[in-house]
Amino acid sequence: MKSARLAFGGTAILIAITGCGPAPIDPQRQIGANPYLPPIHQYLLPPTHVAKVVGWNGATPIAAPGLKVQAFATGLANPRSLYVLPNGDVLVVETGVPPGPVSRPKDIVMNWVEKMAHSRTKPGQRILLFRDTNGDGVPDQKTVFLDHLHSPFGVALVDNDLYVANTDAVVRFPYTTGQTQITAPGVKLCDLPGGPIDHHWTKSLTASPDGTQLYAGVGSNSNITENGIQAEVGRAAIWQIDRATGAHREYATGLRNPNGLQFEPQTHMLWAVINERDELGPDLVPDYLTSVRDGAFYGWPYSYYGQHIDPRVQPQRPDLVAKAIAPDYALSSHVAPLGLVFYTGTSLPAHYHGGAFVGEHGSWDRPVLNGYKIVYVPFANGRPSGPAEDVVTGFLIDGDKARGRPVGLAVDGQGALLIADDTGNSVWRVSAASP
Amino acid sequence: MPMPSINPRSTVSLHGHPLHAMLVPVPIVCFVGTLVTDIVYWQTAAMLWADISAWLLMVGLLVSLFAATAGLIDFFGDRRIRELRAAWIHGLGNIAALILSIFNALIHTRDAYTSVVPSGLILSALVVAILLVTGWNGWTMVYRHGVGVRDKGSA
Repeated sequence: MKSARLAFGGTAILIAITGCGPAPIDPQRQIGANPYLPPIHQYLLPPTHVAKVVGWNGATPIAAPGLKVQAFATGLANPRSLYVLPNGDVLVVETGVPPGPVSRPKDIVMNWVEKMAHSRTKPGQRILLFRDTNGDGVPDQKTVFLDHLHSPFGVALVDNDLYVANTDAVVRFPYTTGQTQITAPGVKLCDLPGGPIDHHWTKSLTASPDGTQLYAGVGSNSNITENGIQAEVGRAAIWQIDRATGAHREYATGLRNPNGLQFEPQTHMLWAVINERDELGPDLVPDYLTSVRDGAFYGWPYSYYGQHIDPRVQPQRPDLVAKAIAPDYALSSHVAPLGLVFYTGTSLPAHYHGGAFVGEHGSWDRPVLNGYKIVYVPFANGRPSGPAEDVVTGFLIDGDKARGRPVGLAVDGQGALLIADDTGNSVWRVSAASP
Repeated sequence: MPMPSINPRSTVSLHGHPLHAMLVPVPIVCFVGTLVTDIVYWQTAAMLWADISAWLLMVGLLVSLFAATAGLIDFFGDRRIRELRAAWIHGLGNIAALILSIFNALIHTRDAYTSVVPSGLILSALVVAILLVTGWNGWTMVYRHGVGVRDKGSA
């Protein structure tokens, strides 16, 4: 009996210990240039808190005053990114995670968590084209624009060359304005780091304002090098790819998972949103929005937010940490920013002119959910100039159920904001509310 | 009513072979292996070794749950086992090793270096140290007191 009691006591202690962790702070303390950084907390059992997916069932997201939200497209298969062509046609990229190996028991659990956090719909591997011929904000034509892609994400058009960033390569397709379907085979411009391990697989893509260079976001192959440093070659970086030759170099490094690559329209600086590391506590490390400087190192994996050392990385590299620079603007921890667009339209209220919208996919490893919304970051003179404000919410209900999760953003031909919602299998259109 | 045996009997046995004794080599080898691969990881920082530790811990824990259940039933199945000091040391020590290994498996779910160094490595070493003591006492139970051993001459 004594031993049985001991076993019971041990189990109770185990549950008590694994249940604790620091209480999450107010995310507002981690918005802007100088986020509060709490001490590191390493868990016995990290808090896995995934919002249960319940779907929209006819409801829509909620927009800030002065704005309205309508469904632009529904019934999609995991739409994750958007691109608006010069004639106003909207490309919707349906995509999903490529299969990966199970290297240790934790991978089985993490795959399950990932599955719980998304919709049950099998992701598409294609790009759809939507056309709104009468300008009422509701598309009336839909075609399969490009099919049989390989976990595509980024799209960029330069002249008549349409580039698609599959998870393992940038591929070029011929495109003429007005075309609704591409059947021509693509030509590979440049390989990108793909499988067999392909942890952060979304390859964001944009073209330089002069059209000579492409920039591709290549996320890390792990949370914090747990797949080995040799799996990180060319990763956690933004690549600059020469359009003419396909040659590439690492334009900036130490960016754990860079997405939403965009040139700021006033200064023509490259900006991106970055997903920072997990399992150091509910409020470490804040995800961020930053200008990306040529040749800069932003810390991953050795340090975060400048030169704060991550003890999980061995061997450490003090030489690299000494070079690490802090990013520009924290978005708070684990919000998972995946979409970024600078607002260059005029039809939204003047309040939203000149700044950036950020799509926050939402947290899974924080006891109180964070993100699951679109925020607006005001800019002045090409720099963030104030606190982020909520623009589109309602993706969460009752605090822990998800109707959808926002990912990629775009501005359509009429200046409305488009939101890809991979979990709600929809695209939402945000425009000015009728006066 | 069967004739009372001379040696203490194992309640959970297959054709006279105690199940507990057949299962325990698996967790013992797994937990000793975890210490070895933890040490190699500590020295090389090559993630493969930490991954192997995590698998060894998982398999060791799964099989030890069956081994512990069989052992506990045997312990409560014959009063003469409970009267042995060695049986108490063996049982309580192994329960401690099992609980520490559960913690150790959780530590090993962390990412990269701190999944092993220092907490994981210390727990792995502690578990092997406990297993040396409980193993010794287990052998005392069998080889000195004949726990689970068939009586000479019986069928």
